[in-house]
Amino acid sequence: MKAHSLFVSCLAILSSASLYAQPAYEAPPPSRAVVDSADFRRAAYLQRIDEVLTWRVGQLKPDDALLPDMGAIAAKLARHEDADLCSRSVIAQMKEPGSGPFWMFPAVCVAYLGRDQLSPAARQAIRDAWRTQMQLRGDTENHWAMYYTSLYLMSELYPNEPASTWYSGKSSAENLAEARDYLIHWMDLATTIGQGEYTCSHYIGEYAIPMLFLASWAKDPAMRQRSHMMLDWLFADQFANSLNGVLHGANARTDDTGVVERWNCLSSFFSWLLLGNTPPPAGYGGWGVYFAAAAKNYELPEVIYRIGVDRDGDFLQRDLKRTRRRWRNSDVFMAPVYKMNYTRRDYAVGSFQSGLCDPIQTHVWDITWAVPDPRGVHNTMFSMHPVSSSFDMQTYFTEFPDHMMQGVTKEGKASYDSPDKFLGGSRFEQVVQDLDTVIALYDIPPGTRFPHINGFFSKDLVHLTIDKSGWIFAQGGHTYLAYRPLAPYEMLPVAHIKSSWTGERVDSGDKRLYSPHLKNGTIVQAASADEFKSFDAFKTAINALPLEFSLEPNPTVKLITLRGKNIVFTYNQPPQIDGHVRDYASEWKLFQGPYLNAEKNSRRLTLTHGRLQRVLDFNTLTITDTVLPN
Amino acid sequence: MTKIKMSLLLGSLLTATALAGTAPKHDLLLCAAINKNYVIGSKIVTQNGIFQRGSDGSFQHIGLNFPSILNLSADPRDPRVFYLATLNGCVFTKDGGQTWRIGTSWDMTEPKDVCVDPNAPDNIYLALPDGIAVSPDRGATWPRRENGLPNRGKYTQTIEVDRTTAGRVLAGCESGIYLTEDGAQSWHRLLPTKAAVDDIEQSPLDPQLWLTVTQSDGAHLSHDGGRTWQKIPGVPADEALYNVAFDATNPQRWAIASWHYGVLTTEDGGHTWTARNAGLPADGHVFKLGIDPDTGRLYVSVYQNAIHVSDDFGRTWRAAGLEGSSVYNFVFVPKTAK
Repeated sequence: MKAHSLFVSCLAILSSASLYAQPAYEAPPPSRAVVDSADFRRAAYLQRIDEVLTWRVGQLKPDDALLPDMGAIAAKLARHEDADLCSRSVIAQMKEPGSGPFWMFPAVCVAYLGRDQLSPAARQAIRDAWRTQMQLRGDTENHWAMYYTSLYLMSELYPNEPASTWYSGKSSAENLAEARDYLIHWMDLATTIGQGEYTCSHYIGEYAIPMLFLASWAKDPAMRQRSHMMLDWLFADQFANSLNGVLHGANARTDDTGVVERWNCLSSFFSWLLLGNTPPPAGYGGWGVYFAAAAKNYELPEVIYRIGVDRDGDFLQRDLKRTRRRWRNSDVFMAPVYKMNYTRRDYAVGSFQSGLCDPIQTHVWDITWAVPDPRGVHNTMFSMHPVSSSFDMQTYFTEFPDHMMQGVTKEGKASYDSPDKFLGGSRFEQVVQDLDTVIALYDIPPGTRFPHINGFFSKDLVHLTIDKSGWIFAQGGHTYLAYRPLAPYEMLPVAHIKSSWTGERVDSGDKRLYSPHLKNGTIVQAASADEFKSFDAFKTAINALPLEFSLEPNPTVKLITLRGKNIVFTYNQPPQIDGHVRDYASEWKLFQGPYLNAEKNSRRLTLTHGRLQRVLDFNTLTITDTVLPN
Repeated sequence: MTKIKMSLLLGSLLTATALAGTAPKHDLLLCAAINKNYVIGSKIVTQNGIFQRGSDGSFQHIGLNFPSILNLSADPRDPRVFYLATLNGCVFTKDGGQTWRIGTSWDMTEPKDVCVDPNAPDNIYLALPDGIAVSPDRGATWPRRENGLPNRGKYTQTIEVDRTTAGRVLAGCESGIYLTEDGAQSWHRLLPTKAAVDDIEQSPLDPQLWLTVTQSDGAHLSHDGGRTWQKIPGVPADEALYNVAFDATNPQRWAIASWHYGVLTTEDGGHTWTARNAGLPADGHVFKLGIDPDTGRLYVSVYQNAIHVSDDFGRTWRAAGLEGSSVYNFVFVPKTAK
């Protein structure tokens, strides 16, 4: 796509916002034209920030005596409104503080925004809460990013205070040192061997918001710089994995909604806010208000903006990530994740090699196609083995085996123990991707709970055809899709889990390919409709592809792909492509592609788009922008 | 250290009135949570953490309201000094709970067990999901002590100091039971296991007698201070066994808690075992148990249900409060330690 300003149309939409509306959520989708003018981009960004805050305060009832939550207080403070009301509301909120990072970072947001607005009593109420309420640190990477960011900033806000004034029993200096050490440790991991919670559909907020706070408010210029660089890093990675602002492909963590309605995630809030190329989710993703409250302190670098919106052609990006910490049941503490993302105008294909990054919310691979308006569209296709396993849970959690499988379903992961779910990875799935071909093989041990695979067939597919050849053909948007199940199956209706918290189900209109065979597999091919004269021509081409497969003793596939690549893939063996045995460990860099490049262990990321280049170097804490010669 | 809101001090509560009749020699402290469906970040609307048995048998919350306190260990020299294994690390108080400090840093998380060496009480052993740490200075510092543990397989669920010998400690890890006899300067494996060792206990009557229960290797017995172990044939091994307890009032009586098997008891020193679940909630799962060393009363936590007690070693049960709770550990603290 090439640049044409959508600034005027954006302003028209934004200026029509009523106090109570969510204009961008309710309006037609924004233009995807590239905005060349930095001034226009900035102005539109500020307008979008204002839209979030305006909407948030517009939710309040005029006669409410107090603001109902920290988000409302943050929005008011960011707009410099009603300081007295904010102060009274803060005092009320602090009477019953929450108990962990999801409470801490909103409190920090209000504390900083309110430094020169809140009453002394309100500020003291916040300070007291950090003395009286022991905070839970949590057990995930995002928990710790929020926890230590919050502890860092509060310790800087109240320096030189004794241990007796903090819930941790440690002095300001001790808290600050511990938080700083962890944050640098986490950044060091992410910039050497990859993030553990990468390209998350929702948890991106749990990293982006803390990094924004640090970049905005840390007193230490080194921490400000690190966090600014980390924020660039996160957004560059996220947007390189987006298609018109919609996150696609593998996620360390996603949820039941976002895994099929790919747009419906907090990540789309960031695409909307920073790129302006997709609608935001309802309520601006909930947490979006906290980013918006400080968002004017950040400006997305042009090179990242263009990586997100300005693609000249197809691109292949290969990235290294890592799993969550494996406490047991594994020879490695954090296993490498070899991720691939092939993006074209009409669709994108993403995957990693197999297994579980996270015990519950991993998404391993999919083909996601572009749609004019992603709201309500299930624009994706994939298969997976639904895992419900105390062994897998124990690998990542330090709990006894028996209560977790049921317990987790009441903690916002309602589908975990459901055989018809589409969320999760499996130790018994192995995947190879080459461009827009994916082969997923399954070898599920007998006795495994849920001994079948689920294939997702969207309600939004058209021309769904079960061919006598064994291929299933369909069209999604402007993309032709071919799906080859390797074992018998049946198509079942989908009662999709609408809420990950309540488990409420709705008939989604989608179909589930249910294949109850332990040795199994899926081959998927995609192509742009422009590549063929007709859908029938696509089918003919697919049917002509040389394909051999067998499921015994191990699932194995030999395929010459639509792109002419000769793939040989056998379960438990490295894939061969055109005779080359893929060696992930030696071949995968931290980032490798046209846009993001970094060597493993380098702490140095080069972002490139056209002649624009930005280097984020954590070794020297420098950001270097260069305009490359023609 | 911080002053945390609490109604009563641990120290003062530990001098609480005696049970009617015979004065107990031990206080019962529970590490428990009543946090059904609690998730990180939400307001804590129930009482969680440490509960103490009162003179009327009820349980009173004391100290931190914190949903993830898994175990505690007391300094025998000073009843005001407690170390807690919590989600955040090792948290301790030295003033009977007026103030608390998270002793460990970011590099240690989710300890499952903590144990003071009664013969060298400055030394605190901490069971971590990625190994073992030992504080040589009452919680001020926490160096790791993992020489001899495998690089992988050192997930540590339980750690127990031999009360007869300073620096002699048994640790229950993913890959087996490990022993140190030099204060954790070095460890060696005594018993290999396929999955985690869930509990190790030393008999209160015979210090050479030890019991262990595991996730998938059943229960084992040692008569030589843990050097050698024999599998207990009458205890099933297909499902996880969560903890084990000795009855200090009767050397023949031991009990095991298991989610799947419920309460298993022996009254003949481990030769025969009986499931004692009649009278417990039909759809309940036994989480942990403990045996009162003064009375032989059997305490059982039914997961997210209530504490149940039996005065006839499991033949009959009655609910004994703390509805909705899960007890991570029943800890009997000698009053004589004060």
